[in-house]
Amino acid sequence: MAARSFRKLGKIFDPTRYRLHDDCVQFAQAPQALLLDDRVRIYFSTRAVDKSNGKYLSRIAFVEVTKDLREVIRVSERTVIPLGKLGCFDEHGIFPMNVLRHGDAVLGYTCGWSRRVSVSVDTAIGLAVSRDGGLTFERQGDGPVMSASLHEPCLVGDGFVKFIGGRFHMWYIFGTGWKKYAADAQPDRTYKIGHAHSRDGITWTKDEARQIIADRLGAAESQALPTVIGIEGRFHMFFCYRQSFDFRNNSARGYRIGHAFSDDLVNWTRDDQNPALDVTPGEWDSQMQCYPHVFECEGKVYLLYNGNEFGRNGFGAAVLE
Amino acid sequence: MFTWKKLGLVFAPQDAPGRPWLKEFAQAPSSLLFDDFVRIYFSCRPAADSLGRYVSYCAYVDLDRADLFAVRGIAEQPILSLGGLGEFDEFGTYPVSVIRHGAEIRAYYGGWTRCESVPFNVAIGVAGSSDGGKTFTKLGKGPVLGYSPDEPFVLSGPKIRRFGDRWYLFYIAGRKWKVVGGRAEPVYKIRMASSADGMSWDKANKDLIASRIEEDEAQASPDVCHANGKYHMFFSYRFSEGFRSREHGYRIGYASSHDLIDWVRDDAKAGIDVSDAGWDAQMISYPHVFELDGSTYMAYLGDQVGRYGFGLAVLDGSLE
Repeated sequence: MAARSFRKLGKIFDPTRYRLHDDCVQFAQAPQALLLDDRVRIYFSTRAVDKSNGKYLSRIAFVEVTKDLREVIRVSERTVIPLGKLGCFDEHGIFPMNVLRHGDAVLGYTCGWSRRVSVSVDTAIGLAVSRDGGLTFERQGDGPVMSASLHEPCLVGDGFVKFIGGRFHMWYIFGTGWKKYAADAQPDRTYKIGHAHSRDGITWTKDEARQIIADRLGAAESQALPTVIGIEGRFHMFFCYRQSFDFRNNSARGYRIGHAFSDDLVNWTRDDQNPALDVTPGEWDSQMQCYPHVFECEGKVYLLYNGNEFGRNGFGAAVLE
Repeated sequence: MFTWKKLGLVFAPQDAPGRPWLKEFAQAPSSLLFDDFVRIYFSCRPAADSLGRYVSYCAYVDLDRADLFAVRGIAEQPILSLGGLGEFDEFGTYPVSVIRHGAEIRAYYGGWTRCESVPFNVAIGVAGSSDGGKTFTKLGKGPVLGYSPDEPFVLSGPKIRRFGDRWYLFYIAGRKWKVVGGRAEPVYKIRMASSADGMSWDKANKDLIASRIEEDEAQASPDVCHANGKYHMFFSYRFSEGFRSREHGYRIGYASSHDLIDWVRDDAKAGIDVSDAGWDAQMISYPHVFELDGSTYMAYLGDQVGRYGFGLAVLDGSLE
């Protein structure tokens, strides 16, 4: 493949500058694009504080920007999708929600979070459908469409769906387990990227426990948020990866953007350097780069991603050259 | 109406000393026949922790085939280990249902995890034995039957069966969590899935048994057998509130079917109820019906959902 590179456009949305619905403040994580006629709508996960215990609740909002991503047109004014009911998989957060048009509907594949006692959380993937062009979504059942299974014991999430050749493909992550790296540490998790397919988008067949992207950091590499795009006949996947512990404040162990390519959607070749996203010292994304999303708009391929602090202060963009 | 003759309490965990993990409860009996004894699997608990929380283990008791009240042996250790950190069965294995298929013995069980907003969640796991059913090794670290859009949580109470060349799993699925007196209590209904190999399951996505006493009736222990040209299901049911009392606690219901999908509920036919006094005077639940040497037996739990063990009844007549 010819050498490609990303040209950074800088941060394009800062949630702290807007008043958000559902009592949300800070965080605009895991941006996901939906193309409209005259603009791009970018869904993201923001956070409210759970009044019962001070913990975070991730909720979906969106911002609409011009097609060159340079100007904010508006921010969502009301609830896009409510959180799940008591005891449901998405009771304590939706982060992220991948959106795609299918027929007259906009499908939203949610990663739902629910809290646990011995470990902090488990996740599963739900399906919500919008009949109003993506302004609001209604979940299809109280439970998930994809969750833990015999050989994927926990933390099934981060679904990214594309309809290719008459069937749905999903790239997602599955947990391989939790581990305490020090006696007094909270348990940390490790997850890998997998693939599933479906005829109807509801009933999924997993390539169960098949890690499709090779580790660069060894078995303790955590891989998250796959996003796939076809460019000139070849599929490209971007994702983020990090060490499984001491990754929050230690920049050397934190999230970076990875890349792989495939010609058959089965075998993927990892190639993080081409294209690579440079780290610019002193910038909003100098400590961490995570939660990538790629999409094409008016002939250009854009990468949306979060920077430092997992996107507490918003997301930015780069364009592929 | 069936006529069951109660034979009395057959096993109490309090009679199995030296097993701190089997201090109380002998829940959800499930039988496996051997040449000269009947092994009854059940779930039990050690003492609660300082916060009042339990874990559950699975065990068995071997009963003499010629005299079911003669105990031949009791499991020396749990038949299954609890899951690792963050796994679905980290805090309990309850209930368990065991089946023999050719040379293989397989167990399906409810694996329990602890949650923050509700006390627990359950999914169904699978394990195999290579020592004749004394111990089992899990076939994976995750559940073999997990959550789906219409079955969002609390998949439990598995009963594994084979009819013809297909595997059937009868189980319960949570419908909602109902807050009663500040405590979240699950409402669950009886469901079914079938499979060619017992590993990859097709859910029927249907409530098999219509609710009778109230919309939020909780249904458990769907125990299915085939006899005299039709399928019979004994199960237990209770009210959604106040179910720790005699009035609203578990009772045993009955339904029959010709195709395993459409069931006709007829609780009046079940023929077994609480006693006037004794170990099963407050509630009866978790029925398990099995044929043995020409007789039909029901193992079931008494008061406090089997805290003091399970008993047996024998059918006068046949399942028709």
